[in-house]
Amino acid sequence: MDYSTLSIPQIRQLLLGKKATATEITQFFLAKIKLIDPQIKAFITITEKEALGKAAEIDKKIANNETIGKLAGSIMAVKDIFLTKDIETTASSQVLKGYIPQYSSTVYQKLLDQDAIIIGKTNTDPFAFGGSTENSGFFTTKNPWNLDMIPGGSSGGSAAATAANLCHFALGTDTGGSIRQPASLCGVSGLKPTYGLNSRFGITAMASSFDCPGVFARSVDDIATVTQITAGHDKNDATSTHQTIPDYSSLLDSVNLKGLKIGLPKEYFTQAINPEVKAKVLEAAKVLESKGAILKEVSLPSTNLGLAVYYILVPSEISANMSRYEGIRFGQTSPDGSNIISYYMNVRGQFMEPEVKRRIIIGTYALSSGYYDAYYTKAAKVRTLIKQEFESVLADVDVILAPVSPTSAWKIGEKCSNPLEMYLADAYTVCINVAGVPSLALPCGFNSNNLPIGFQLIGNFFEESKIMSIGHQYQQITDYHLQQPKL
Amino acid sequence: MKVTPIIGLEVHVELRTQSKMFCSCSATHFHVEANTNTCPVCLGLPGALPVPNSTACEWCIKLGIALGCTPNLTSFFERKNYFYPDLAKGYQLTQFEKPFVVNGKLVIDGQEIRINRAHMEEDTGKSIHLTTSGQDLTLIDYNRCGVPLVEIVSEPDITSAQMAKNYLLKIQQIIRYLGISDADIEKGSMRCEPTINLKIETDDGQTVYTPLAEIKNVASLTGVQIAIDFELNRQLEEFKQTGETKSKTNKTTRGWDADKNQTFLQREKEGSSDYRYFPEPDIPYINFTQAEIDAIKASIPELPDQKIEKYKTVYGLSDYDAQTITADFSFANIYESIIIDYIYKNKVNDLTKIVGKSLKDLVGFTDSAKVKDFAKFTANLFLGAIKTHLNETGEDLDQSKINSQFFFDLFTAVSNSEISATVAKQVIIESYQTGEHPVEIAKSKGLIQVSDSGEIEKIATEVITNNPKAVEDYKKNPMSIGFLIGQLMKASRGSANPVIAKNILEKLLK
Repeated sequence: MDYSTLSIPQIRQLLLGKKATATEITQFFLAKIKLIDPQIKAFITITEKEALGKAAEIDKKIANNETIGKLAGSIMAVKDIFLTKDIETTASSQVLKGYIPQYSSTVYQKLLDQDAIIIGKTNTDPFAFGGSTENSGFFTTKNPWNLDMIPGGSSGGSAAATAANLCHFALGTDTGGSIRQPASLCGVSGLKPTYGLNSRFGITAMASSFDCPGVFARSVDDIATVTQITAGHDKNDATSTHQTIPDYSSLLDSVNLKGLKIGLPKEYFTQAINPEVKAKVLEAAKVLESKGAILKEVSLPSTNLGLAVYYILVPSEISANMSRYEGIRFGQTSPDGSNIISYYMNVRGQFMEPEVKRRIIIGTYALSSGYYDAYYTKAAKVRTLIKQEFESVLADVDVILAPVSPTSAWKIGEKCSNPLEMYLADAYTVCINVAGVPSLALPCGFNSNNLPIGFQLIGNFFEESKIMSIGHQYQQITDYHLQQPKL
Repeated sequence: MKVTPIIGLEVHVELRTQSKMFCSCSATHFHVEANTNTCPVCLGLPGALPVPNSTACEWCIKLGIALGCTPNLTSFFERKNYFYPDLAKGYQLTQFEKPFVVNGKLVIDGQEIRINRAHMEEDTGKSIHLTTSGQDLTLIDYNRCGVPLVEIVSEPDITSAQMAKNYLLKIQQIIRYLGISDADIEKGSMRCEPTINLKIETDDGQTVYTPLAEIKNVASLTGVQIAIDFELNRQLEEFKQTGETKSKTNKTTRGWDADKNQTFLQREKEGSSDYRYFPEPDIPYINFTQAEIDAIKASIPELPDQKIEKYKTVYGLSDYDAQTITADFSFANIYESIIIDYIYKNKVNDLTKIVGKSLKDLVGFTDSAKVKDFAKFTANLFLGAIKTHLNETGEDLDQSKINSQFFFDLFTAVSNSEISATVAKQVIIESYQTGEHPVEIAKSKGLIQVSDSGEIEKIATEVITNNPKAVEDYKKNPMSIGFLIGQLMKASRGSANPVIAKNILEKLLK
């Protein structure tokens, strides 16, 4: 039986009906990963020992007629910036190579507590700095739909693992599009929740006021099941929400598409977008329209400022967040300890990837005395403006529908020589992070080269339930999310 | 030439909260095995996030209000970025733009010292430099990393080393009254960094300023005073030699060498560091409602200055006695509890309704002569016998050994001339040690004063018979009666009322 195409509830039912054991499921995935991952390179670490250990634990519970967790038997892949106790966590950077954390991130721990099985740690751009996994300190992950192409990023390993059915769901983080863009380029679903819905505790920080942990799966249903577990307040994260978490799964059919007002922001459909992508995204809108939704052009006039704001504020926060990686308490060390400054320079100079250094330098510059007001303060003000625009548009329409990436996946190496061009690929995702609202990326077709195309549904703060309901209903009438790459 | 010292103080105080500022580790680090009170948060491990300690935030506001500051209803933490091995995250969480409290003042030696702000921050770890087997090592202890620290920044209004010391003493006293820190400079729970220069008005009418110097590592109150005096003299001498005046770039940092009693140059050109402050994104803005601030205000106990004023006006103590008793919060409170018990017991006017309230509620209550007498009597015992005893034993005053009723009865006995003031001092200590009633002690030792003239006359007759020589002397010189009184007191084992004894002797010898 191919356990990899089943949903999370189906796997749990198999176990309860004693039609399969967690160990069999785990061994199936380990074998599949051994076979397929060498082509894709989604994983940095395969956690065979931990996976089989957890599976045995679940099987024992079933044998003893004990209650099993809500995610029992589901195989999860975890982006390598989530700290996993006793499992190497590198953040895909050489500077953390060999680091074995003493504690686990909250989100990961909550999933383990529900008997999800970790199968491995996935590749990313180092510390999630990038949009293609090409910045990784180890290797580049390949797009399962075309191995010459990037999978997107930064959570490219998690997206590729999900697309290649190497897990049931995968954890990622979205600071400027790092879940939605790779989901879109790999043809899977991905949720960037409202800032603060999922705890950031135990995840290497990129930009603290932007970072959103979230989940990849093939269907919205599975995303709802996992988000149900991860969401909610964490006493270890002062920015995590105190909101009551609704029962997402039971609300998947709650939104009535008839009369639903969908806003199409004109700034997201300009000449900058690839015509094939534009056509497919508009086609997705038409599908919803055919079910009674009302399409309406809306305007988010500050969209063009989003990238500028993002690339001031994010590196500013990064520059401070990266200071702890100096090789004294953990991570790589330098043999030269003759003087503290040269020690720092050796560790950071030798082991940090170029993109990491680039962002530290940009952020340090932006925060420097004499530049702070012109850059940081100004950008913070525009951030408020962008947030207000989203709130005002979302007061007028129920949801915003937009493309995720201006193009489909590009060739590995194509944009490496030009970091600025790489940054422009985030144009349709960053504003959502600047504002902090939730957005769900869904597959909506393929281009002429058979590469996936996705769109996103953007809701108001803490409206995950609404956008997931729309996404779920969309997936009831389309089958793009069921397509699988040939591997 | 006229020289005026300009001194500003930055005072750091470690709060004695149970846990650290941003994690749940114990905040205790004095004499604790290195790196045992640590966790991912205070070690700055990847992914760890700070969650502010609300008690520490409230205490900072409490202290600020006690220093006359105004609270900011909205404030936030910021990151101060610099690299140092004992600073785990590579930035210190502190407050810059919006501290919890601003614009306070203290009056020291009759002069107003403005306080710019009191803000909340976290302490750093400790670097320990040593040489082992010929190798220079730096060891780091992160136990102190993340301990809550309040920084109190004064304006440069202090004009002498003595005033600086008095300012520190006053802050220390207020902190101890609030019970938020032991504020011990020797233990490092209170630290002080003076910034100093001189205003020099030359004879030809010019006004110039000497370069600023910040002094670090002063580890005692006396040290602060000596260090400032040393630095003031050093700057004057240097100015006389070089004529160098203050500029934007010549601020220096100087260390304090307590062995040599002198400051030494640590760093030059302090002005150039850039800490790249920006709001801490891991912690939402902290908002207080006016009602919350009012509740914090209401939790502030009577502060030393208010207490001193009350002791003087309501209890009738001298300024010196009031200052001495209030120097220590606990000592003052034990003293005052006896007075308050007395007021309640004797239902002195309406004082029962206002005890424990602030001074302004007490205005107008002057009909309390009895309270004043009792308060003065008790103060004499506290500052005399009891304090002497505590100094000898090195102990703190133990409230459980103090019984208000004993003081009432002793006061009555002394008022009725049954016990002399001298005996009262003696028996109160014995009572404190044994828990027995002081008047009973006096009785059992035969120390009750005899005022019965018949009884005294009997003893006086004996004394006259046994001391013919002294009687002769008295007849020549009446001033020598003291010897006979002394003999009489001795014969009565101190129990005779000396005034009555003198009258009777004089009568018999006429």
